[in-house]
Amino acid sequence: MELSRREFTKFGCKIIIGAAAGTTLIESIATIDAQEATSSKNYDWTKHYWGYIVDTSKCIGCGRCANACKLENHVPFDEPVYRTWVERYRITNEGREEKVTIDSPNGGIDGFTDDIPADEVKKAFYVPKICNHCENPPCVQVCPVGATYETEDGVVLVDYNYCIGCRYCIQGCPYGARYFNTEKGTADKCTWCYHRITKGLLPACVQACPVGARKFGDLKDPESEINKILDKERINVLKPDLGTKPKVYYVGLDREVR
Amino acid sequence: MQPHLKRAFIILILVIIGFLFVRSFIVPGSFGQYGWYRGDSVAELRELPVGYAGSASCSDVNCHNSVYTIWVNSSHKTVNCETCHGPSQNHVTDTRTMPTPANDTREFCGMCHFKRTARPADFPQIDPDTHGENLQCTYCHNPHKPWFL
Amino acid sequence: MAIENLIWGYIYPNEAEIQWSILIVLYPYITGLVAGAFIASSLYHVFGKQEIKPVARFALLTALAFLLVATMPLLTHLGHPERGIEIMFTPHLTSAMSGFGYIYSFYLIIVLLEIWLSFREDIVKNALKFKGWKKLMYSSLALFSYDISEKSLHDDEKFARKLAIIGIPSAAFLHGYVGFIFGGIKANPWWSTPLMPIIFLMSAIVSGIALLILLYLTASWLRKKAINYKTLFSLAHYLWIFLILDVALEMLEIISMKYESLEEIEIIDRLLSDKIATTFYGVQLTLGIFVPFVLLILVMVMKNREKLKTLMVAVSAILVVIGVFAMRWNVVIGGQEISKSLSGTMTYVPVFFSQEGVLPAMIILILPFIILTVLTFILPPWKDMDAEME
Repeated sequence: MELSRREFTKFGCKIIIGAAAGTTLIESIATIDAQEATSSKNYDWTKHYWGYIVDTSKCIGCGRCANACKLENHVPFDEPVYRTWVERYRITNEGREEKVTIDSPNGGIDGFTDDIPADEVKKAFYVPKICNHCENPPCVQVCPVGATYETEDGVVLVDYNYCIGCRYCIQGCPYGARYFNTEKGTADKCTWCYHRITKGLLPACVQACPVGARKFGDLKDPESEINKILDKERINVLKPDLGTKPKVYYVGLDREVR
Repeated sequence: MQPHLKRAFIILILVIIGFLFVRSFIVPGSFGQYGWYRGDSVAELRELPVGYAGSASCSDVNCHNSVYTIWVNSSHKTVNCETCHGPSQNHVTDTRTMPTPANDTREFCGMCHFKRTARPADFPQIDPDTHGENLQCTYCHNPHKPWFL
Repeated sequence: MAIENLIWGYIYPNEAEIQWSILIVLYPYITGLVAGAFIASSLYHVFGKQEIKPVARFALLTALAFLLVATMPLLTHLGHPERGIEIMFTPHLTSAMSGFGYIYSFYLIIVLLEIWLSFREDIVKNALKFKGWKKLMYSSLALFSYDISEKSLHDDEKFARKLAIIGIPSAAFLHGYVGFIFGGIKANPWWSTPLMPIIFLMSAIVSGIALLILLYLTASWLRKKAINYKTLFSLAHYLWIFLILDVALEMLEIISMKYESLEEIEIIDRLLSDKIATTFYGVQLTLGIFVPFVLLILVMVMKNREKLKTLMVAVSAILVVIGVFAMRWNVVIGGQEISKSLSGTMTYVPVFFSQEGVLPAMIILILPFIILTVLTFILPPWKDMDAEME
């Protein structure tokens, strides 16, 4: 307490001194930062191929990822639409049968409360979900006009100025990752924060995760953290039998997860 | 060919030519530049504004360097500034716009630290009914430098 | 009703909203009626079944009336109707849906040409008979070419026959591809089956013939003319044959799904026993197929008693038309009521007043009948119906 108050005072003084020294200095620093963070001019998409790793054993179900995603991408908070969400799986015994209870209240944004007594739960875990940015994306296949596409660097995007809003892609996605944006009148989905990754930033969900359950990186870079994990861990993807070839890889995926 | 059929086909061909003519105007120029989509849309999506600036942008000596130094050496170092403080790019671009203050309620800390069956057992969790007498967590704990580890 | 009460088990959070509404149920229903009516007319035009001749041109007009509204449910449903034309400007050929614009246009041209050629003699006669705006209208329709010599009409007939020969596969294609829009979606186990196009086609033919029967009976009743029983019972016979094919394929799909019992069987079982139990077992199978099937057998074995048999055919046709609508409903809405997580279901609640509500659906469904009435005033097809009776 004492420490923090002292720090706070020190910090406050600094701001006052800074302000006294003139806002021009701060503004000039801020402008440099802002420029760095808002330019994708030098981005070369042939040099990257993005991938995503979810470590389900680390996820604590705080829902900060889903919250950050909605803030970063202006996804309406009052509609049941999500670019990423967290699912909870709880396995209980019911007689001799196993019962799996899955839920994701408000995509996990408000966190989870225990509504099954802890001693009845045999196994429980969280699973973050996100668009898989499939190598063989069924949503792109079914788009009748070419309003959704896979970029050279492996990201599946929606062209909001071209989409006719037929919602065939929403039907075509096996993962429920797409939704209808009522404001734009078009389909919408996770972009892996394309406006961030092309400026050297991490996707908002990855940055927001407090435990490192979400990792993002370049599959073309042999030194990247995600390549190291892919080389070491046993990896699975969602619904591999559908042949969509997801680029969201899961560590510690349970058989109940679909 | 009979005259009426000939006329019908001329009408049909005119309709097709008209269609192709209108098409050449309406299809965007960048369509097909990279693939079966509007090439310009890639740049449009790249240029969308950023909301979360990243923890590094807080660390400047003229800004929040001291608290940054404390945090970066604490066990909360995996929790980025904006995970609690919210998106701050607007504040970074123009320091006069203030981000919304961090949520310091018990419930907010509890999103990570209240005991839940589905959480990994080794993750630090407390039972909200018995721990801390319903006080604000920050009364005892400094979120920038928690006690343990 | 609160959204929670409409959901059972776990659905992906984005699935709470049903995306394809009653309008998308109408779309395959209407194109089915088009394809069915066209194929019924080609029983005479291509296969030379003389007993169908009295209704052959009427069937073509019916096909056109429904074809003209076929795009409406789709356009009304789009988030950006004004961008709909992109489907023709930049069709993405890997998508089953992208074919729509071109297949539809091609088929529209064939139907228009077919109607034009089979009515040309009447058009030219009217152009010569009338004065004023009517003369102008019929002359324009005749493209100001008035040759209706025996040879010219004979050549027309030969050309129309060739067109109809192309018309059958394109009618089959128009509707088969609608089936593939659903059948090709691997994400949805209720839709994903290679049988879907052919099931759609069979039910299309069934619904088209049934609609033609109903329209023929209504037209005869309104015009106070006697019914041509030979034509009516012949149509009933074809209806019966196509019902058998239809039910065989629909059963094959369900039986193989049950027998193979893949991962999705639990949720399919729940769909059939809970969500769409009434519309599937009750309306689609019992009322829509089984009852008319039995009634039509009775019609075929009974001697004389034309009045009763006509009534039974009429009832069968009404049931079939309703049953096929239920089939479209069960596919389109049923498929969306199961979660792609295979762990839960949601419920579609139709809204009455909204862009995608029941009201626009009703308007779109009534419209073809109005168009058909107008068409029969411009191009009366009754001559054929009455000719045989005299």
